[in-house]
Amino acid sequence: MKSDETIQETFSLSPKKKKYPKLNVLSVMSPAGCSHVNGYKVDNWKQNLRVIYQCFVWSGTAETRRRKAKSCICHMCGAHLNRLHSCLYCVFFGCFTKKHIHEHAKNKRHNLAIDLLYGGIYCFVCQDYVYDKDMEQIAKEEQRKAWKLQAFETRPSRLYSLESTGIGEKYTTWEPTKRELELLRHNPKRRKITTNCTIGLRGLINLGNTCFMNCIVQALTHTPLLRDFFLSDRHKCEMQSNSCLVCEMSQLFQEFYSGHRSPHIPFRLLHLVWTHARHLAGYEQQDAHEFLIAALDVLHRHCKGDTIHDNGKKANNPNHCNCIIDQIFTGGLQSDVTCQVCHGVSTTIDPFWDISLDLPGSSTPFWPLSPGGDGSTVNGESHLSGSTTLTDCLRRFTRPEHLGSSAKIKCGGCHSYQESTKQLTMKKLPIVACFHLKRFEHSAKLRRKITTYVSFPLELDMTPFMASSKESRMNGQYQQTVDVLNNDNKYSLFAVVNHQGTLESGHYTSFIRQHKDQWFKCDDAIITKASIKDVLDSEGYLLFYHKQFLEYE
Amino acid sequence: MSNEGRMRATVNQKLTEMGERERLKELLRAKLTECGWKDQMKAHCKEVIKDKGLEHVTVEDLVAEITPIGRALVPDSVKKELFHRIKAFLAQHA
Repeated sequence: MKSDETIQETFSLSPKKKKYPKLNVLSVMSPAGCSHVNGYKVDNWKQNLRVIYQCFVWSGTAETRRRKAKSCICHMCGAHLNRLHSCLYCVFFGCFTKKHIHEHAKNKRHNLAIDLLYGGIYCFVCQDYVYDKDMEQIAKEEQRKAWKLQAFETRPSRLYSLESTGIGEKYTTWEPTKRELELLRHNPKRRKITTNCTIGLRGLINLGNTCFMNCIVQALTHTPLLRDFFLSDRHKCEMQSNSCLVCEMSQLFQEFYSGHRSPHIPFRLLHLVWTHARHLAGYEQQDAHEFLIAALDVLHRHCKGDTIHDNGKKANNPNHCNCIIDQIFTGGLQSDVTCQVCHGVSTTIDPFWDISLDLPGSSTPFWPLSPGGDGSTVNGESHLSGSTTLTDCLRRFTRPEHLGSSAKIKCGGCHSYQESTKQLTMKKLPIVACFHLKRFEHSAKLRRKITTYVSFPLELDMTPFMASSKESRMNGQYQQTVDVLNNDNKYSLFAVVNHQGTLESGHYTSFIRQHKDQWFKCDDAIITKASIKDVLDSEGYLLFYHKQFLEYE
Repeated sequence: MSNEGRMRATVNQKLTEMGERERLKELLRAKLTECGWKDQMKAHCKEVIKDKGLEHVTVEDLVAEITPIGRALVPDSVKKELFHRIKAFLAQHA
């Protein structure tokens, strides 16, 4: 992909630096077209024009298509390309490129012609395409009609929803409505987003041990897809009362991207959280991870109005939801239980919003990890300092685990209880992967915080932990060649939530990523610039990674 | 009209009749948007308009300036895909 600079180099173009006065475009292009067009608008012109569109420009039916295929050739040279135009006053088709239509216009004094490719109206006197409001309206309608006919024809047995990415609603450029034009005129101030601008950064007042909530809010408001969803007003509220958390989230995004630099006071958000997640109510310090899961859960439940499936039915099925929360955060975790006797495998896939990882130093043993699937070389982490890496934790998470003789599983193949191994792998990766390092131990005997340093990378490749990778390993392909072209499993770090202090009294702060390489530390109301080193040296409690490459479905 | 011209005309007729031409156009549109070609062209048009001046520029100016560039910038993968689609269609219907 050539950048703008190389295009100019290649074609030796030098843009003039001259500044042109701002023109009100609406006055230059009059919606009434040119005066020559008015000469055409007599008698039954609308119907005539429609017929021309239907037959020669946008042919919707098989019959009109056949006619178009046969008759749409230049009357002078027989070519069907060369930007064929049709005279508006008589039945004449002529090339534009070879000026055959121009000749006709001059000879017959027929001033107007229509471009059969795009439907534009050309005026030979003005020597340019003209845009008449009435004619444009007709053109749009005819195009839409033909489109619908064609979509229905190709697959008449299926109804197309407006959301489908197949042949559905035709793409049209955005045209502002009267109301939108009014709003734009009354709000002339524009904000320019440069690479250094700090829009979206705002502190949050601590309302009494609410730093656990503030961190998660910072992470969510800096999740690119979520931000885009809310800033484009995609939430349509179905709730009657004022207690929709998604609406409040929307408000929050408006506040964050308003350009205000004073810290925001999220009292409404806190109140709604208390209302919908009772277990988090009260002024005690709560767990940020618990808050994240509770918040995602409530948002997911309140998103009911935004999910539309085939046939326009709303999706109420929690297992098959397509709300923005599910689209961004939900992944699929595959659990394979292998019977040690018959080696039959029983597979289940469960949805997840986060991956909770055990750490060395907890009461459950961490090392040794099983062989195979060397993730650390993929993610470029080094063990030189002897520290544990995120990849180590993921390897441990996805290792086959013997369930022991006290935990026999009923095997469908053997029809009896047998010993088995269980292994977790990623079936489907979410767009945003959240890793939860289990630093808070709440076992029967002790409650403590594990402060073991775990190093985590800026860029993470999840390929070694995928269910598909495991299958290849089992088929004997031990040394997996890293497929450089496969970008599906590559992630970038964009937010880190940290906890300082002890279990009893501690404080949460977060690092968030702005633009490509700028990081900021968010400590309640105080936002400061941070270096990448600050981020990567921090302890890490919640790690938020975003997929690097997104694909259309 | 040359032999090639006649063949082209026949192929075009078939494609138009069966509605395949429209479908291919839409496919091409989608592919060119996805790979960023459309945005590149848009940026280029803006340059031409700046150059000639908003009041004076005509569609012809734009067509003349950006057609060669547009043609050159179509990615090979897109060309290949369209080519294969047309080939497959003709194999089926010719």
